[in-house]
Amino acid sequence: MRTFLTSALLALSGFCCLSVASAGDIRIGLAEALTGPASQYGVPIRNGFLLAQEELNAKGGINGNRIVLVEEDERGKKEEAINVYKKLIYQDKVLMIFGPTLSNSMFAAGPIAEAAHVVAFGTSNTASGITDIGPYVFRSSPMEADVVPVTLKAAIKRLGLHKVGIIYGNDDAFTKSGYDVFRQALEAQHIRVVDTETYSKGDVDFKAQLTKLKAEAPDAIVCPCLAEEGANILIQARALGITVPFIGGNGFNTPKLLENAKTAAEGTIVGSPWFDGNPSPENQRFIAAYRKKFGSDPNQFSAQGYDALFIVAEALRKIHLTGQLAQDRQALRDALPAIQYAGATGRFAFRPAPLHNGKPGGYDADQTPFVYIVKNGKFALLK
Amino acid sequence: MDWSSWWDTYSTLVLSIGVYGMLALSIYLTLSCGLLSLANAAFMGIGAYMSAIATLQFEWPFAFALFLGTVLPAAVAFLIGIPVLRLSGVYLAMATLGFGEVVRVVLLNLDITGGPLGLNGIPPLTTWWHVVLALALTVALLQALRRSRIGRAFEAIREDETAARLMGIATDRIKLLAFVLGAAIAGLAGGLNAHYTFTLSPGNFGFESAVDILTMAVLGGIQGVAGPLLGGAILTLLPELLRGLQEFRMAANGLILIAVVLFMPQGLWDPARFRRWRRSRGTRAEA
Repeated sequence: MRTFLTSALLALSGFCCLSVASAGDIRIGLAEALTGPASQYGVPIRNGFLLAQEELNAKGGINGNRIVLVEEDERGKKEEAINVYKKLIYQDKVLMIFGPTLSNSMFAAGPIAEAAHVVAFGTSNTASGITDIGPYVFRSSPMEADVVPVTLKAAIKRLGLHKVGIIYGNDDAFTKSGYDVFRQALEAQHIRVVDTETYSKGDVDFKAQLTKLKAEAPDAIVCPCLAEEGANILIQARALGITVPFIGGNGFNTPKLLENAKTAAEGTIVGSPWFDGNPSPENQRFIAAYRKKFGSDPNQFSAQGYDALFIVAEALRKIHLTGQLAQDRQALRDALPAIQYAGATGRFAFRPAPLHNGKPGGYDADQTPFVYIVKNGKFALLK
Repeated sequence: MDWSSWWDTYSTLVLSIGVYGMLALSIYLTLSCGLLSLANAAFMGIGAYMSAIATLQFEWPFAFALFLGTVLPAAVAFLIGIPVLRLSGVYLAMATLGFGEVVRVVLLNLDITGGPLGLNGIPPLTTWWHVVLALALTVALLQALRRSRIGRAFEAIREDETAARLMGIATDRIKLLAFVLGAAIAGLAGGLNAHYTFTLSPGNFGFESAVDILTMAVLGGIQGVAGPLLGGAILTLLPELLRGLQEFRMAANGLILIAVVLFMPQGLWDPARFRRWRRSRGTRAEA
């Protein structure tokens, strides 16, 4: 057994020395879930990054240096996220790391980057507390806590809400934190919650909960759900004769919702950091280039990945890379917080996270989300 | 590549090999007594949460946290073991799986466990010697058990429970002992795991990891202590070793498992097969 272990470990160490960098390359790690259930988010993110890398390098990279993305699959598992982070930091000697895909994986891998003084940059982590890990943790994805109050305010203005019902999944980190944020925002804006119903991930029948909600006659139903359950909830609500509009969180921001729910989604209000109908030239150029390269429509996650590489490119242009890894990593981390950028997701800046137990945290996204409404089977900006 | 950068890169992997080795041993213990129990992932979860709450929220010393993480799952195993161990075979497997689901739902709904968000920011306290020590203690305990009266009783129960009972073995108590010890080992492994992965969520300890742990023991072979350790090491290393295959690596992972089960049904570590090999080589040499 000892010989097996030794040879296995030797093989492991051999793997990582194969990739040889040419001088002038800027190596950046990309740790995303490329296989497994979380790959539905990880793969679009990777595609966004690949597109941005191609465009940046076509224009001569950063002061003539090419950007090289070192991709690793973390399968959406915490141990693998840690292993991938360590490999990227200590073996591949990357300048910084993008990812991982899920918030839970960032909670596991972030401390590794923090201890090594390497920037960990999440583009899809929306849970609160991520940036409490420390000052080397950045994210370009606005928290639910930033998106939801804006969504709710727009919905109140449009619908004149007084009382709402809520339905959410209480066994999933994403939907549960979405619910917490909605409840706080509803309280802050003095909207009465007449009934709160819950379901479990993977449920397909919501008629019992919806019947109870219907009996309370709310003005709208708040649904911080993922699109899979959300589409079913919408269809069954309409079948039960519930006509009031739904208000969704970040999970509703996907073309899949419209494909699955069809006319049942009409009137649904959604808040999101990215909107495909945003007419800004940066966004339209991104959508066209993405379609050409991958033959499919981009989503919010690809847009956030795409923008993130440009945000880092801005910072890289501002610093002088010396070739001393520790020094360069520190210089990049010091240059990032001041970067402002206008990209596919609109205007972007960083905002320092509040002190956590007296210690400084990392940097959250400071970005105004778009609020839109489903109209004639399409997302349209809510004005 | 020098030693320190190798260690920086692969330390978590090495710790995982040790911790998953312990988990495989914990299920080996119940299997060696003829019990097909799938509750070990849940016991690991109880131990992980208990010790993480102790260090994170109460700031108790790590050693005490690990102690609690070992004792609490053992106590829970004692309580549920009394009724559940009346079952055997697939019925026991189903009951223990059900218990695992109960634990997951409890973790999801308690406030102290952070609900679906889990626990984050667990201090990085596990170092290599903690894992080595825990693993060494586990192996020493299991080896001592094997040679003892209790170990013989385990074997007797596995071969034929009725006969064992007729021989005067207190089968209920012996089975409960195996179940409780297995839970304690799994809980300790969970406590160690929590302090080098920094985050826990209820989903970490569900059906999937219960099956993973069983696979490790069965793949390695349950004829001795070396088998589960080997199985745990292989299943932890394989996804990393196959990283070069990219998208296909989990498929390759599965194919390797199928091949092992088809051609080595007793597991990789099978002393009887080793003896056969040696004998056949010996006869060839004579001829």
